[in-house]
Amino acid sequence: MMMMHETLSPNAPRTTDEERRLQVLIDLDLLDSAPDERFDRITRLAARLFDVPTALVSLVDADRQWFKSRVGMPLSETPRSLSFCAHAIQQDDVMVIRDACQDERFATNPMVLGDAGVRFYAGSPIEIGDGVRIGTLCIVDRVPREFGEDQRTLLRDLAGIVANEVAALELKAVAERERRSAAALRALLEHLPDGVLLFDPEGRTVSCNPAAERMFGAPCQTLASHPAASLIGMQPKAVARHEGNGQRVDGSTFAAEVSIAEMLLEGQTHLVATVRDVAWHRAEQERVRAANERRHDYFRTASHELRTPMASILGFSELLLKREFDAATGRELIDIIHRQANRLIGLVNQMLDLARIDSGGSAQMHPAPLDLTQVAARVRDGIDDAAQAARIRLQPAAGSPQVLADPLRVQQALANIVANALAYSASDSPVTLAVASQERAGRPGVTVTVCDRGVGMTAEQRRQVYDAFWRAGALPDVPGNGLGMTIVREIVAVHCGQVEIASTPGDGTQVTLWLPQAGAAEACAEADR
Amino acid sequence: MSRRILVVDDQPDLRLLIRLTLRALGEVAQAASAEAALAQLAAGKPDLLILDVWLGEGISGLELCRRLKLDPAMAGMKIMLLSACGQQSDIATGLAAGADYYMVKPFSPELLVEAAAGLLDS
Repeated sequence: MMMMHETLSPNAPRTTDEERRLQVLIDLDLLDSAPDERFDRITRLAARLFDVPTALVSLVDADRQWFKSRVGMPLSETPRSLSFCAHAIQQDDVMVIRDACQDERFATNPMVLGDAGVRFYAGSPIEIGDGVRIGTLCIVDRVPREFGEDQRTLLRDLAGIVANEVAALELKAVAERERRSAAALRALLEHLPDGVLLFDPEGRTVSCNPAAERMFGAPCQTLASHPAASLIGMQPKAVARHEGNGQRVDGSTFAAEVSIAEMLLEGQTHLVATVRDVAWHRAEQERVRAANERRHDYFRTASHELRTPMASILGFSELLLKREFDAATGRELIDIIHRQANRLIGLVNQMLDLARIDSGGSAQMHPAPLDLTQVAARVRDGIDDAAQAARIRLQPAAGSPQVLADPLRVQQALANIVANALAYSASDSPVTLAVASQERAGRPGVTVTVCDRGVGMTAEQRRQVYDAFWRAGALPDVPGNGLGMTIVREIVAVHCGQVEIASTPGDGTQVTLWLPQAGAAEACAEADR
Repeated sequence: MSRRILVVDDQPDLRLLIRLTLRALGEVAQAASAEAALAQLAAGKPDLLILDVWLGEGISGLELCRRLKLDPAMAGMKIMLLSACGQQSDIATGLAAGADYYMVKPFSPELLVEAAAGLLDS
């Protein structure tokens, strides 16, 4: 505030409530606005009536006076420090300077001494609202003049007309602002995804937004004939959050979350209900719950499967430590311990593998162009038992088509399928691996089909085969841990490929692995579309 | 008179372990599934049934336990569930099915002998 006092010229006084006055002036939105005939006709009239060269509607801003309307004035604004009007708005009535050269306040004013040559000034404050003077209607002449009481009255009346015009403009602006704000509010309600309904004290729907109309399946007028309680599935009363079911007018229901607030409308208590369709949200909750349950089941089964070989290892070793056995029996028991320990570590490795594929997704993959015939050959060569390897028959594809896939993962998947085919079929029967190009849903790709002549699978077994730790019971002596096909399914999934099983019990099984040629990234993106 | 024990487990190694462990207590027979166990039980009631809970496909150990406890012809036969399902809820479910004892795998053969002897003598 000190700064302001220091920079102020004594010739440019401030009104007592200057801050508020300036705010009102800014809010009017008149400063620097385009010329307006409604003000221009008043200044023209004033110049004629008083027979002066200059008449102005002058708005006194913080550092300048700006002319909303001007006759005989080339400038659109002048510094406030030179302003006569800044003085005029300090007083209640018309300020008259008969001869500026004779007035000590203005005698040295550049407007008086300079080219403008102001000698006479009469200004009447423009007062709007609760006594705020935003500026003046003023007349100026280059010669000294007398200004009588009648003329003062006339100028005062003209300033009153200016004030009325300003008030009319302001009223129009307020109405426009209200209209805009109502329109914004309406647009907000119309675009709100939540349904909003207004209930009267009798629980009838008075009004609602389009989301509510969509949600309940009828226009607002129709909803009005349905009791609120039946629509929102609860007695309408103020409630922060109610989870229940909404009912559409056709009688069908949907999962809804309702919150209700009281409001006073024209003296009566109304209720505003916000209704949110939470079907998606509940489905998501259910999905998470199911995933948790699957995870829980997995760990329950996993712990069972880990404890079982451990029971053999700990049990037999304790027996060996505490009891006497003949050499042959002792050796047999140690053999069991060794076999079960191997089974245990195999299980742990496969579980870790599965967890890695599961958590890494396609990000953990290292895709490379891959010839599945070569992968099939590597699977055959990887079988330790020569007699088993000899059962494999390879049927390569013409033109050795390639796919973009992770070589080690694909080999692992194929090896698991082949291991099942060998294990669940007679030890002298052939197992064929046929590679072929195949387009699926418009996407080029390559299939490997593993075909055995073994025990086959029932429809139920084909469903269960991908469940972790599930094992076909038909041949209990087959080693394994029930994770092989689970891993196959996960590897196929991260490649956005497909796997299917065709089988008839007693007649052999045919497992087909299909991988997209373009690789997982592109195939998965396409599948999402 | 020699006591008779029937071991039901789908794992051959574990059947062998339990038979070796309990052979001092009496005559130990074995079955690989609930169905096979039922066939043997029809031929004669043992004094103690050592029963696994997860028996692969077919009737589960829990279900078999429930059925046998309701069967008047099986009255007096003790049932011990011996399972790798070791959660508190698993044990509660097993005892609710009527089992006289629940032992978790892996187990100490010494403790199994103790528990089996306790059941046979009670």
